[in-house]
Amino acid sequence: MIYKYFKMPSTFKILSILFFIVLYSFKVTAKDATELFYTLRTKVLSVKDFTADVKMKIEINNMRIPLLKGTLYFKSPDKMRMERNGGLSILPKKNINLTLGNLIPTGNVMVIDVGYDTLAGKKVHIIKAVPEDELSNIVLTKIWIDETNLLAMRTETTTRNDGTVKMNLEFANYIKYALPDKVTIFLDVKDFKLPKGVTVDYNVNATPDTNAKTGKQKSQKGTIQISYLKYAINTGLGDEVFAKDKEE
Amino acid sequence: MIQLLKIELYKIFKRPRTYISFGLITAITFLIQLAMLTDGKGFLGFVMQGINEQFDIQGHILNGYLVTYIILQSLLVQIPLLVALVAGDALAGEANLGTLRLLLTMPISRAKIVLMKFLSSFIYTVLLILWLALVALFLSLLLFGIGDMVNMKSDAFIMILKDDIMWRYFMAFTFAVLAMTTIASLSLFLSAFADNSIGPIMATMGVVVVLTILSNLEIPLFNIIRPYLFTTHMVGWKGFFDDPVPFAAIGRSALVMAFYTIGFLTATIVYFNKKDIKS
Repeated sequence: MIYKYFKMPSTFKILSILFFIVLYSFKVTAKDATELFYTLRTKVLSVKDFTADVKMKIEINNMRIPLLKGTLYFKSPDKMRMERNGGLSILPKKNINLTLGNLIPTGNVMVIDVGYDTLAGKKVHIIKAVPEDELSNIVLTKIWIDETNLLAMRTETTTRNDGTVKMNLEFANYIKYALPDKVTIFLDVKDFKLPKGVTVDYNVNATPDTNAKTGKQKSQKGTIQISYLKYAINTGLGDEVFAKDKEE
Repeated sequence: MIQLLKIELYKIFKRPRTYISFGLITAITFLIQLAMLTDGKGFLGFVMQGINEQFDIQGHILNGYLVTYIILQSLLVQIPLLVALVAGDALAGEANLGTLRLLLTMPISRAKIVLMKFLSSFIYTVLLILWLALVALFLSLLLFGIGDMVNMKSDAFIMILKDDIMWRYFMAFTFAVLAMTTIASLSLFLSAFADNSIGPIMATMGVVVVLTILSNLEIPLFNIIRPYLFTTHMVGWKGFFDDPVPFAAIGRSALVMAFYTIGFLTATIVYFNKKDIKS
């Protein structure tokens, strides 16, 4: 067989060598991307818990909520609670929550290298991570990674039950822990309707809302912007912090 | 004039039926507060179903501010009746008792008599709304405490921070006084036609109920008249719990009601001036 190969025309030989070189380079890149993903995940998951002073701005069409200031408690893997000194706090009720750790798949993951791009003036490596666990709520996560600082600058997570959640992250003071100073989450929110006979709305224009007649539950985009002002990281938060009653 | 006003106020407040209104407001308020104390969470669960499916709201939702809002919403229908109980009796009641002719023998113009009747009804209305503010707002705050307020519209969820609520209630109650003054002027107008107070009271309620239905029915036929009905604008107090507050629309609503009030009052004076008083 080796003999036959050497007997082939030289053009074919060159092409086949080139093919193997390209294939090898892809394998190397894929390995790099996989390594990059697991290193990033280890860094992100190194934060077991945190307490942070936050400012939260919720912008959803049919929800008018003022800027909320409070304390956000997080405990790995999925406990999150916001406290507002006697005021109400609002967090999206999703199986995934607002931390990066929950938007990155756990367990064995197949990593696909997508290439490079520029994000906020920085060169970022884009990868796609597909969990091997078929029961995982996360179907696919696309991550824009700043390789220099090992930070996820943007994620786009497609979930089985909660639609697609996009997250933009800005880092400044807690790069060591991969904890962002500002996070913008883009999510899908279903429209809701209450019978007008129950609410007896004050109609500003004194004419009926013709759009309200369809009664269909439409989805709309919303954003939640969280500014983290100060973190206390890995202080060993107890579960009791998250066990407080909803209606205090 | 002041003397005449004092006499009118004396007439209103010496009658037991006047205090029925204050008693009814107290009773209804207590009942709603009791219902909220026992099953408020169930009620909230129903109203906020759409929001709770998607968001996790934590904190003291069922607070005094929200309960007051629920009370005010529930009393939308009853308060016009309570105002009509007094204003509808102002002229018809005198006619029924046979004291109207005696009143008109005083050296005061008929217009002034009507104005004093209106002013005394207005003072009664203000006191009624003040009493409502006292038992609904302050008692609810005492029973349920303070907190951020959620306001559910048919297609929107509004959250108001606790430090930003009290002025809204002040404005809402002021607006309610204006709305109820319109009802008082309507009732007084109808009272000028009758010799028995039951008629104007029932007629006032009839007009309010019919116009409220027209204001809320989403039928294109009524779209043209809806902006001109005072009942469309009576719920303008709710605008103060919106974000941003639609001040321009509330101002328009206030103008419409002021226009109706002046209109009813003028019509009452014109008619009463020409009326042949037989009793």
